[in-house]
Amino acid sequence: MTLAALAVLVYAAVLADAVRRAHGLGALVAEIGLLGLIFLALVLWRSLEELLPAAMVCLGGAYAVSVIVHGASVDERAPLVAAGLLLCCELSAWSLDERLRVAVERGVVGVRAAALAALAGGALTAAALVVAVAAAPAGRGLVWTVAGAASAVLVVALAIRAGRR
Amino acid sequence: MTRRSSPRLAGYAGLAALALVAGLAAGRVELVALAAPFALAAVIGAAAGREPRLDARLALDRERALEEDEVPLTLELSSPTGASRVDVLVLLPGELQTARPNPRAVRLAPGEAKTIELPLRCARWGAFSVGPTLVRAHDALAFHAWEARLGAPAPLRVYPSIETLHALLPPFETQVYIGNQVSRARGEGIEFADVRPWTPGDRIRRVNWRATARRGELWVNDQHPERNTDVVLFLDTFAEIEHDGRSTLDLAVRAATSLAHRYLQRKDRVGVVSFGGYLSWLLPGSGTRQLYKIVDSLIQMDVVLSFAAKGVDFLPPRSLPPKALVFALTPLLDSRSAAAILDLRARGFDLVVVEVSPIPFVHPGKGDLADLSYRLWRLARESLRARYERAGVPVVEWRDGVPLNVPLEEVAAYRRYARPARA
Repeated sequence: MTLAALAVLVYAAVLADAVRRAHGLGALVAEIGLLGLIFLALVLWRSLEELLPAAMVCLGGAYAVSVIVHGASVDERAPLVAAGLLLCCELSAWSLDERLRVAVERGVVGVRAAALAALAGGALTAAALVVAVAAAPAGRGLVWTVAGAASAVLVVALAIRAGRR
Repeated sequence: MTRRSSPRLAGYAGLAALALVAGLAAGRVELVALAAPFALAAVIGAAAGREPRLDARLALDRERALEEDEVPLTLELSSPTGASRVDVLVLLPGELQTARPNPRAVRLAPGEAKTIELPLRCARWGAFSVGPTLVRAHDALAFHAWEARLGAPAPLRVYPSIETLHALLPPFETQVYIGNQVSRARGEGIEFADVRPWTPGDRIRRVNWRATARRGELWVNDQHPERNTDVVLFLDTFAEIEHDGRSTLDLAVRAATSLAHRYLQRKDRVGVVSFGGYLSWLLPGSGTRQLYKIVDSLIQMDVVLSFAAKGVDFLPPRSLPPKALVFALTPLLDSRSAAAILDLRARGFDLVVVEVSPIPFVHPGKGDLADLSYRLWRLARESLRARYERAGVPVVEWRDGVPLNVPLEEVAAYRRYARPARA
């Protein structure tokens, strides 16, 4: 229950930030975010783990709208938002795992909490690195586009491989 | 081990790809930043898919126990590679209960061996198999799970608890071997029976000098010899009624065990016949070994649904020796066993019917029709009982919670005043 509440809290925090930044399109962002919140509620209430990506797509979409509306300047809080999204996913998944009636040792909880903290830290660092690299003056234009496209292809390939397992 | 990956791993990769493509299309670095954590998690998840090595050993403190006994079960779990989380479930039959958590999740460091103690309470008799152990190991973030069945199952025989029987039912006739039952016949023994005139071959030590002095000729004492008896426990396993984890078969087995134990203590020969869908028997025998054989056969008894017509003819003659005292333990639910009991009486066996009453296990439904059918059912049972009594067979009802001594006393009282009639 605590984990589920934390997941919803993280989701709500990211959504609130996106709504605040959206100015004129705040209502649209809120609607998209609320749709995602419904998906998240279904995930947590009915244990429909497969709806978790849909909730994240909604929240990510709401954030994207707010970023585009906000203007051309880079949002410095993007790494926090990115880490928040992943944290929300992981907390939801952990909450679902704990629903099985298994007596869990303290050490087991500690290991997962530490691993989650490390993942969140790594996620924050990776996202911050992306933002920092994008802000660097060198290599604008075609090089970044090619690098981005290559990364996209790599991740899509990874997704396909993971999906086949 | 069977590997299973979390669906969120593919979801993360998909989300990362989507965010990356969206970032490229929209030309926004924030969206690319959104992709980075998911891509990182997907890569970590893919890299974490290393199968752990696990070993589990199940050991029971002992292989035999009595009902309500507590038997410690030890599970030794080890892993040379270590595992962040191992969910362990020892498969237990419903009759064995434990107050400790099962399943449970533990952490295993590389090379560490963990011992889990599970005290098992034997709630019901039976022959059980404890285990194997189902284990599921996860990586630290539960991206992958590996499942396996480990540890060989451990056998456990739980014997029914035995009731203290103060007095046993004497049979009408005894057998020819030495035992503890005073026979109705006359011969060499301790119990005085009567005096009679001396006949050639009588020993001098048997002469009753007082009677001889009074009558003026030699008179000798007659004694009742001590003989053994053959007891056959005839269990009706055609049908049972169960409620709240207790059944008529439970009671019948408990009664049979108590009777077998007590008669074998008296050096009698005891045999068992399971008369039901699955026919089985154990020839009469005596001694501790026979007791174990009987109890082992009793705890494996079960009601097997069958529509085949069966009679006493199916049993080998040696399973029902002549002059044997036959205890029929039956809930009187199946017409085939009811007919077989009458058949036994017709063949001249000294028969006692202990009706393991199904009444406490039956709850009449609501409504007039249900009430009427319940009353009819009870009337039909009464009628069957009357039929047995007309044949000179004592029928006593035994209910759960009542000591077995009570129906045995009832039979003893019945036999004091009634004689068997021809069926």
